[in-house]
Amino acid sequence: LLGIPLILLSLLFPALLFPSPGNRWVNSRLSTIQLWLLHLITKQLMIPLNKNGHKWALMLTSLMVMLLTINLLGLLPYTFTPTTQLSMNMALAFPLWLATLLTGLRNKPSASLAHLLPEGTPTPLIPALILIETTSLLIRPLALGVRLTANLTAGHLLIQLISTASVALAPILPAVSILTMAILLLLTILEVAVAMIQAYVFVLLLSLYLQENI
Amino acid sequence: MTSVLLSPPAAPALLRSLRPAASVGVLHVVRPIHTSQQRLAPVPPLPEKGGEVRHGLIPEEFFQFLYPKTGVTGPYMLGTGLLLYFLSKEIYVVNHETVAAACILSVIIYGIKKYGADVAAFADKLNEEKIAKVTAIKNNAIKDLEAAIEQEKKEQWRAEGRSYLFDAKRNNIAMLLEANYRERLLTVYNEVKKRLDYQVAMQNLKHQKEQDHMIQWVEKNVVQSITPQQQKESIAKCISDLKALSKSAQVAV
Repeated sequence: LLGIPLILLSLLFPALLFPSPGNRWVNSRLSTIQLWLLHLITKQLMIPLNKNGHKWALMLTSLMVMLLTINLLGLLPYTFTPTTQLSMNMALAFPLWLATLLTGLRNKPSASLAHLLPEGTPTPLIPALILIETTSLLIRPLALGVRLTANLTAGHLLIQLISTASVALAPILPAVSILTMAILLLLTILEVAVAMIQAYVFVLLLSLYLQENI
Repeated sequence: MTSVLLSPPAAPALLRSLRPAASVGVLHVVRPIHTSQQRLAPVPPLPEKGGEVRHGLIPEEFFQFLYPKTGVTGPYMLGTGLLLYFLSKEIYVVNHETVAAACILSVIIYGIKKYGADVAAFADKLNEEKIAKVTAIKNNAIKDLEAAIEQEKKEQWRAEGRSYLFDAKRNNIAMLLEANYRERLLTVYNEVKKRLDYQVAMQNLKHQKEQDHMIQWVEKNVVQSITPQQQKESIAKCISDLKALSKSAQVAV
């Protein structure tokens, strides 16, 4: 943009959005709201977990905040959303899921293996069910990563396609162009919601896996 | 050894092994420079309001900066000119992202205009509640202490009145003693009277007995001294007297 390498500026810009609260008891409005939000997120995440799970507080909360920021900033024009790349999402999902699995296997191996068989299954179904549960267990990291990637990529793709259509139609059929823009408006609102929800779902599922295994 | 590229924890130990003059000078270098005040409190207070911004983005200082040369419409002319320049020279190309940008920016601006004041009020409320909690504690403490002071003053006033209390008590005791004394006096009087009455009764009895005895003795002697002859004579005299009387009575009738 303007031939000036603004990449550095754009890389560092998000840090401006989160001022560190400073060493005071009553903060500025922005800091107060951010601290309140952080407090809310941490509390909601940590309630179902036992004491051992509280070690994951920083990890999960910062993951949530990062995903929220990345998703929401990606909706601005001329931005790039890293979470649309499968590589990054898998890099987030796979090690974290593996960590929950290994903690479970390390601390309570029989209990975490017992999760593979839900209670009250009729006896003939047991082998099949164990296979099914194992598959579902192993597919979790894939599901986590791909869910996030797919949702965000789909949203961004739709935005770009519809806006291209709107621009292309403008000189020919301005009315259709305006209609398309209306659709785009609605889509944008959806995208904002999706961005926030996907971040939340990611972290929620991780905490769920953690609950079972810690 | 005197290199300052050593990591801070390792450096002082090594550097202290130098001779005193050199070690002191070198230690100065690895000591961090004080770039800010070392005190943690009191921090300077936050300004009451944030910086003034126009249209939510451009600080007021920009407008004030341009005001002397270009007046009120200066910055707006600048903005319009820049925009038209970018568009006409295709430095900024209108492509699909422009439409997307228009949409997302309208959503954002709508959101801010609608909910901005509420969010600010919420943040203020959070802070107010925090302050109010602590102020409430302080006020409660002050109230409790004031109540304690009132109590103390009341106790002091009570203590001043203790002389009246003592006087009343003293009077009570004196009265009790007096009453007791009088009771005993009465008892003594009654006892003495009983004894004296006894003595009087004894004397009376003795007189009585003596009298009775004397009368009996006189009667006995008189009866003894009446000889039988005297008895006949007295009886004959009585009969003659009676006859004389009866005659006079018959005559009277």
